[in-house]
Amino acid sequence: MIRQLLALLPRRVGAAPIVPEKSVAGRTLLLLITIMAFLSAVTLGGVVLVQKSAIAWSSDVGRELTIQIRPVEGEVMESNLRTAVSLAQSTPGVAGARALSLEESQALLEPWLGSGLDLSAIAIPRLIVVQLSDPADADIEQLQNNLLAINGASLDTHAAWRQQLNTMAGTMVLSGLLVLGLIGVATVLAIIFATRGAMASNREIVDVLHFIGASNRFIAGEFQGRFLSIGLQGGLLGTVLAILFFAIIGVAAGSVLPSEATAQVGVLFGQFLLGWDGIFIILLVVPVIAALTAITSRLAVRRYLSEAS
Amino acid sequence: MIEFSDVGLRYGNGPEILKDLNFFIEPGSFHFLTGPSGSGKTSLLRMLLLALKPNRGRVTMFGEDVGNLDQDSLLQMRRHIGIVFQEFRLLDHLTTFENVALPLRVLGQAESEYRPNVIELLEWVGLGERMHALPTLLSGGEKQRAAIARAVIARPKVLLADEPTGNVDPELSSRLVHLFAELNRTLGMTIILATHELPLLDRFSYPRMVLNKGELAIHD
Repeated sequence: MIRQLLALLPRRVGAAPIVPEKSVAGRTLLLLITIMAFLSAVTLGGVVLVQKSAIAWSSDVGRELTIQIRPVEGEVMESNLRTAVSLAQSTPGVAGARALSLEESQALLEPWLGSGLDLSAIAIPRLIVVQLSDPADADIEQLQNNLLAINGASLDTHAAWRQQLNTMAGTMVLSGLLVLGLIGVATVLAIIFATRGAMASNREIVDVLHFIGASNRFIAGEFQGRFLSIGLQGGLLGTVLAILFFAIIGVAAGSVLPSEATAQVGVLFGQFLLGWDGIFIILLVVPVIAALTAITSRLAVRRYLSEAS
Repeated sequence: MIEFSDVGLRYGNGPEILKDLNFFIEPGSFHFLTGPSGSGKTSLLRMLLLALKPNRGRVTMFGEDVGNLDQDSLLQMRRHIGIVFQEFRLLDHLTTFENVALPLRVLGQAESEYRPNVIELLEWVGLGERMHALPTLLSGGEKQRAAIARAVIARPKVLLADEPTGNVDPELSSRLVHLFAELNRTLGMTIILATHELPLLDRFSYPRMVLNKGELAIHD
């Protein structure tokens, strides 16, 4: 499959390349760049997944408010619920408000108290779910002030959750970018060593080119062309493998995990789907790796030649 | 064309291996450079190729003091000098045609531009039928003719040859020297051919530059 992929790359036409296309150093460099491109693309894909999921989750949570009515002696819960719902519905930017029924409220407690308990004798807090039509325009402050009139009512905007989520997502994105930067540095160092190795193994070609009057610029250009080609091939291979990796992980997560777990993982990571924009971002690894290879190897070759002469 | 005045060369802090060289090479001349192994023939050729700088004295080539030239000017001057090695030094992954065309590619010529000239030269040196063969498939004599063709394809003014007959039999050696003589006669190339094969020298009447323990004597 790798050979078929490589066959799709454009071939040089005209005169044969002065630097041989197949050499041990060339194959080593190709493998190295493929691995680095794969790691970069997987890291970048992970960053994209976290970022997309965080934005989606933050947006979902931001569109919802919760009003809690605690039971207070002397207050009629159902009446307070109706008042709170009507206050919420009359607030600008609110699309709808609905009080959870007693059964729904009891169901929320089941994970902590277990099922089969009769909770009718216990006064439990009740919740009203408020959906916002536009979180930016919603007058949450007005709603909060209005709710002060209801004894035992409080408003939860989930701000703390969102803040925590954003901090976590931001930390993961920053960590990913830091890893990406370190992979870049490691790639540059590896290319420098591989270039010097390739130059040493092609010393005879360099000597002959010098004897027949080639300038260092010409020789560097010949080697750079070769390294650019290796960079393109390695970058493309590594990136395609990374996209396949995400596709396989997505399918595997759907088929191996139980459906409830899949749903929960899906809420966090969006079913591991990169989307076309994610794939486009990952594909940017190809030109970046190729350019990094070409520029680094050119500098390394020029340095090697100036040392040699 | 080439003038050495009181030239001395040493490697590092070692003793001088070439001492007080004084000679003048006329344009279009043919000289043998001879002497026992270790007498400094290759070092002198490397100085003539501008790959080594003397420690003392003055080297003038094509009317310019080599010591005053910067890297770019040295590169330009080197393009007027062709070199043939004993061990051929052809690039094994390129065909005979591509090896011979290499100096023209280095000069920036397109294949369509140099192709007829390369084919003509290959036919002239008797390699017209072997132009698509890789060097590994060529005989010693064929390799050396390919190396000579590569050295002269860009029409250098000076052609240096370092033991070009060292890897071929005596009969072929003589034919190769005739080839150099032909290049000298027809193209007017200045040729300095280093060899330590005395029987070969005796077959030709060209002047001899004899190196012995770093000192040079010229016998016309």
